[in-house]
Amino acid sequence: MQAQKVDFVSIPTRDLDRAASFYGDTLGLERDPLSDSAWPELTAGNVTLAVVVPEQIGMEFAPLPTGAIAIRVPDVADARTELEQQGIAFEGDTFDSGACHMAFFRDPDGNGLMLHHRYKPYHDGSTP
Amino acid sequence: MPVTSEVERVDFIAVPTLDRERSAKFYGETLGLERNPNSSEQWMEFEIGNVTLALLPHEYTGRSEFTPSSGPIALRVSDVDEARRKLEEAGVEFPMETIDSGVCHIAPFFDPDGNSLMLHRRYAPYADGSTP
Repeated sequence: MQAQKVDFVSIPTRDLDRAASFYGDTLGLERDPLSDSAWPELTAGNVTLAVVVPEQIGMEFAPLPTGAIAIRVPDVADARTELEQQGIAFEGDTFDSGACHMAFFRDPDGNGLMLHHRYKPYHDGSTP
Repeated sequence: MPVTSEVERVDFIAVPTLDRERSAKFYGETLGLERNPNSSEQWMEFEIGNVTLALLPHEYTGRSEFTPSSGPIALRVSDVDEARRKLEEAGVEFPMETIDSGVCHIAPFFDPDGNSLMLHRRYAPYADGSTP
């Protein structure tokens, strides 16, 4: 089997408009103009996030687990401050793994997200 | 103020696992994804075109209860029926018939930890006439 790419990552929601507003306005992701209001898609650089009512695809609602999607920002502390000013609550202090900073938060449906920035080069010397 | 200028990309999608060797076999061999040579045994990463899937060992989450991911990751394949058949031959079970949404084919399935995945192929052009 040849998997070519990830077409989208599904973000389960109970409220399409609220979720579209969170990802579009609060996180500032661009809405894919070709997506419709029943299946809103937002572009996070290399990946499309599709806001989905799970019942429409035969699934029950359950939020994504902690830190399911790692969103790259240039500076985790700055981005965290901006989101906190908009009322987003983070879970715990920002974590320094020794290679990257991670700050865990959730969208209005409780889906686990993470602000992420790797500051350490990889073994081969390259940087993200 | 939105952090519009801040979000650069998705670095990885975390795939929670109770058994990283089993997961590595599934993503590396069954799905045939390429292992990121810069990733370690403790933090294994697999590359699929535009994004990285990172195996997240359950013990790293600090939680007692294991929760698989409920939001399907849509894996683009050139032909959903053919890819499904190959995965079925490799022992992967598909819980339902392949769905034709009117614009795409979707075959949902799960990894060994119950994380939600789907084979996906859009066949209809978008409203502006472009195709995926």
